Amino acid sequence: MGRREQARIEAAFMRGDTGVDGVATEEEQRDEAEVERDKAREQLLRGRAYLGREFLTWLLWRSESGDALVDFEGAGLVVLYTGRCTLKGINGDVTELMARGALAPYSENVKHSLDRGLLIHQARLRLTHGEKVYEVTLDAEFLDIRAAKLPELMAEEEDDKLLERLYLTEQLSGMVDTLVQSFLEVRASRNWSKKVVPALKSWMKGEDEAPRQTKVQLARAARG
Amino acid sequence: MPVLSGAVTFSRFRSEPTGNAPSDVKRWLAKGLKSGLFEPIDLKKTEDERAAGFVELENHDSTDFSTGSVLYGEYALFGFRVDTVKVPAAQLKAELDKWAKGFEKQNGRAPTRGEKAENRASLRHMLRQRSVPSTKVHDVSWNLKTQQVQIWAASRKAVDEILLALETAFEVKLQPLVPAALAARAGIADDDLVPTPELIGVEITNSEIPSSEVTHGEA
Repeated sequence: MGRREQARIEAAFMRGDTGVDGVATEEEQRDEAEVERDKAREQLLRGRAYLGREFLTWLLWRSESGDALVDFEGAGLVVLYTGRCTLKGINGDVTELMARGALAPYSENVKHSLDRGLLIHQARLRLTHGEKVYEVTLDAEFLDIRAAKLPELMAEEEDDKLLERLYLTEQLSGMVDTLVQSFLEVRASRNWSKKVVPALKSWMKGEDEAPRQTKVQLARAARG
Repeated sequence: MPVLSGAVTFSRFRSEPTGNAPSDVKRWLAKGLKSGLFEPIDLKKTEDERAAGFVELENHDSTDFSTGSVLYGEYALFGFRVDTVKVPAAQLKAELDKWAKGFEKQNGRAPTRGEKAENRASLRHMLRQRSVPSTKVHDVSWNLKTQQVQIWAASRKAVDEILLALETAFEVKLQPLVPAALAARAGIADDDLVPTPELIGVEITNSEIPSSEVTHGEA
């Protein structure tokens, strides 16, 4: 075989036109929407990311009351969603949606989208623990701490400042874990499908009777 | 150094020893760090484009890892440094064009493809010698009491690389603190954790979920 012919075969292989056996590969038959849906589904199931999305959605519902949701180290923990949130889903034409605005997460638009099968994938949260206020962006897949704002440091010495900063990051991490554990307790119980999910769906549809903060109260809390 | 100041962005893990827990933590720490220490790229001796490894938190050129430079109270703090050397393609092309013009003037003909290829390699080598490696350092904080590990990096690729380096150097398994891992730790069965059809809009059975093992993925 000549060099030119060899190069031609190699180029065809590199382009993906032929396989290792030199036979033409099958043409992609699926349409773009199908490919996107498959990708969204893979993202949902990878590492059970749907659990994180269900958690962030459940937390949004629970946080609307403005009450302390769990007890963390002897004090109540209040959660408030602020600013931007991203929703993702696998059912329907829309697989990703982003909502911006101070009260966007609690808006009817977001609730309507949640009712249509999208779940919260990423959100900015404000956690109030006693007098300390933290802010953090969480994503459903990894629950990484992103762009967090910590309470002001009290220490004055450099070494003490470092240890206080590390302590506060661990506190923040611990709060997230406590909220997840609280969710998992409910999620693994019989109440989840019998009571919690129907209540969540009612809330998404705007039918629930639970006492909620008014828009004014939420806006005040969002401003800090 | 984000641990000391700046943006607070990190991935969270819990460390679990794969064998026996170390009896002498200081020695184990020093040994682990030394086994994966950062060695700068030697531009004269190697063609490597990348070097990565552990460095001290407050001195990114030091890999002594004395106890005082690593242990801060109950925390072990250090950095993971990544150096990369890249010759910009545009710069290489400009140098090659310059050489080709000179060659043509001298020899009265354009260089052949083989001559060009040979010169490209030597020019690349020369430019590489002149280039300065770009450096990135990601901090790692490890609470030796609670076994919580924080990798201070925003990029998933960086987190995965550091994760692998830590697991190899310290012979530990780092479990990501995600709901699936926390559920497994709480003894919740996989069957109780299938996606909620009413919420996601479709029914998915446990067998359709790729693997119950929690990985940090590659988003």
